[in-house]
Amino acid sequence: MTPKGVSLNPNSRKTKFARRFIFALSRMRNPIPVSSSIEEEVRTRSHKIKIAAYLSMARAVGSRRAWSRALLFKLRTRARRHNMIIRRRSFRLKKKRIIKNDPQGEPSQTKKLRQLVPGGKTMDMCSLLEETAHYMTCLATQVKVMQTIADHFAK
Amino acid sequence: MENEFFLNAGVPPSLHFESSASMPMWHSLSSAMEIQGTEVNCLSEQSQDCFLNRKWEKSLDHGVHFDSALSSMVSSPAASNTNLSNDSFVIRELIGKLGNIGNSGDISPHSPPLLASYIGGNTRANTSCYSTPLNSPPKLNVPRMDHLVKENLPSLGKSMPLNSSVADFSADPGFAERAARFSRFGSKSFNGRTSQFGIKNTDLPCRSYLPMDTGRLPKVSSSPSLNALGPQIGALENNNSPLQDRTELANSQDESTVSEQIKGETGLKGSNDVNSRKRKTASKGKAKEATKAEEANDKSNAKRCKTTEAKGNENGPVKAEEETKGSTRCAGDEKQSKSSTKPPEPPKDYIHVRARRGQATDSHSLAERVRREKISERMKLLQDLVPGCNKVTGKALMLDEIINYVQSLQRQVEFLSMKLASVNTRMDFNMDGPISKDIFRSNNPSPHAIFPLDSSAPAFYGHQPQQNPALHTNVSNGTATQCPVDPLNTALCQSLGVQLPPLNGYSEIVSQYPMYGEDDLQTLVQMGFGQNTNGETAIQPRDFHVLSDQATHTKVEL
Repeated sequence: MTPKGVSLNPNSRKTKFARRFIFALSRMRNPIPVSSSIEEEVRTRSHKIKIAAYLSMARAVGSRRAWSRALLFKLRTRARRHNMIIRRRSFRLKKKRIIKNDPQGEPSQTKKLRQLVPGGKTMDMCSLLEETAHYMTCLATQVKVMQTIADHFAK
Repeated sequence: MENEFFLNAGVPPSLHFESSASMPMWHSLSSAMEIQGTEVNCLSEQSQDCFLNRKWEKSLDHGVHFDSALSSMVSSPAASNTNLSNDSFVIRELIGKLGNIGNSGDISPHSPPLLASYIGGNTRANTSCYSTPLNSPPKLNVPRMDHLVKENLPSLGKSMPLNSSVADFSADPGFAERAARFSRFGSKSFNGRTSQFGIKNTDLPCRSYLPMDTGRLPKVSSSPSLNALGPQIGALENNNSPLQDRTELANSQDESTVSEQIKGETGLKGSNDVNSRKRKTASKGKAKEATKAEEANDKSNAKRCKTTEAKGNENGPVKAEEETKGSTRCAGDEKQSKSSTKPPEPPKDYIHVRARRGQATDSHSLAERVRREKISERMKLLQDLVPGCNKVTGKALMLDEIINYVQSLQRQVEFLSMKLASVNTRMDFNMDGPISKDIFRSNNPSPHAIFPLDSSAPAFYGHQPQQNPALHTNVSNGTATQCPVDPLNTALCQSLGVQLPPLNGYSEIVSQYPMYGEDDLQTLVQMGFGQNTNGETAIQPRDFHVLSDQATHTKVEL
């Protein structure tokens, strides 16, 4: 029975994301303070947290959306590259830039939007807008959950 | 002559349709055709429109029988629209109506009506066509139709040279389907014709019915009825490929807007040029079907197309052959969505779009229009999502707003991650039950997080009446009290160095956890979680294990 005014949805995106994110956060061990400055530590840590947030959001969405697929792919290749660099420390992979073909002289904002939305470079305008809408809602939930967690820990 | 033509066309047994299912229908059609053949001839100038539309609607219902439809058709003396354009308009309306009818019901019953309308609609076309079926195409017909007819005729046998006005029928998807059926049916003469709903074309019957994938049928939004018809057409289509090629050839010959529309009518909805459409029926076959679909429902098609597109966008395979234009996407999607509406029919791959009146009718502009409509539809959705965008009008401004919003959200994520990182440096992330609970609860970012709990508490109480008093006490105790039952919780509070009033409030509740069952915990958490603006999250039972473990000081394992 659901309490009045509360809609229970154990499978909602928000729940999924929250669980994954919290789990990832808990897994993040506090590294023994290295000689590097605290700022750097915070920066790297915040970067990790950000990646974790995006990753958990993309996982929560799954492969249903083009942007989530693109994001997962990007993060995975990045992780792979990172691992390779750490292990081998020898070669660096050059990042290939996909040349986006501008179909029909789209407005300049489209270009910007494509850069913002993961996977937007190779989408047509129609799907780009659709993906943007979904991406926006997911970002909003992500922000909400993170805000809650931050508030909780800040208290 | 026309009679013969009709009769021949209508001879079902001679037709070799692959789809056996359609055979019965064809039989009925054939018989109807025979009857109609004579009747149609009588119809001369009538057009189509008035009586077709009105009587049609009256006489037709799903189970309407062909005969009744025919009689209505025949009996009502259509206004003599000598003007072919009028005819085409009428026919278009008729087709539209037929399409509507067809859409509502299954195809087969409608096929006869469609056929009848088809025939009836051709008043002028019929008379002209039938009188000189092969030799003299209707006046509206472009010369190419002539040779389309001619070239098709030999191969196809007798075809019903329908006026371009007939082509207008094709606007109606249902009509297209029926026409396709009809064409298949009449395949004796139509055999080998493209399945396009050839109402538009002189060789309409044959061509239009062929499945869309033949040749260059433009992608047009197809109504469900079309989809329904599609399979049948497809079935019959197989042997029509050569014909289709021919049709394509013929089609290629005409550059008329209609033909182009038909071909490339990628989803334009609109009534565009009736006249041009009718004339161009030559575009034939596939195009016809498309055009018919288009014509049938002008703007409504557009809307439908759009919605279907939106729906079926991801899954619409576009028939590559037919569709070259941008509406391909749309067409495929729409077809897909349309087919979804009618399960038995195989998905068609393109959407029939009709050009609106007064607009350009070439396939490129049609496709462009469809694309623009889709984009504007998406922009409207985005406008609802982005807060404070109600007053912004225009694509550029809207895009600016969207970009700003997305950028602000991403910046917020980055900022929050920084915040979490700094917090993390101070202490480890102890995701114990109470914390999780609190997080979920306070997912409603407001200082009054506790209050929503209170408000929801009664609901909760309703579920746990026996625990109401205890819970209530706990809940009401929202003040910061240092009474953590859970040592972990206490530790957390102390480590944070702050009193966590809400947490404390919960801690008391947490202490009660062992008393509650899993469900209680779940409900509790859900209550808290549900305070979010979305109010939709809930913690799964697994989390409650954690919570209960927390309460019992066991190791928490998320």
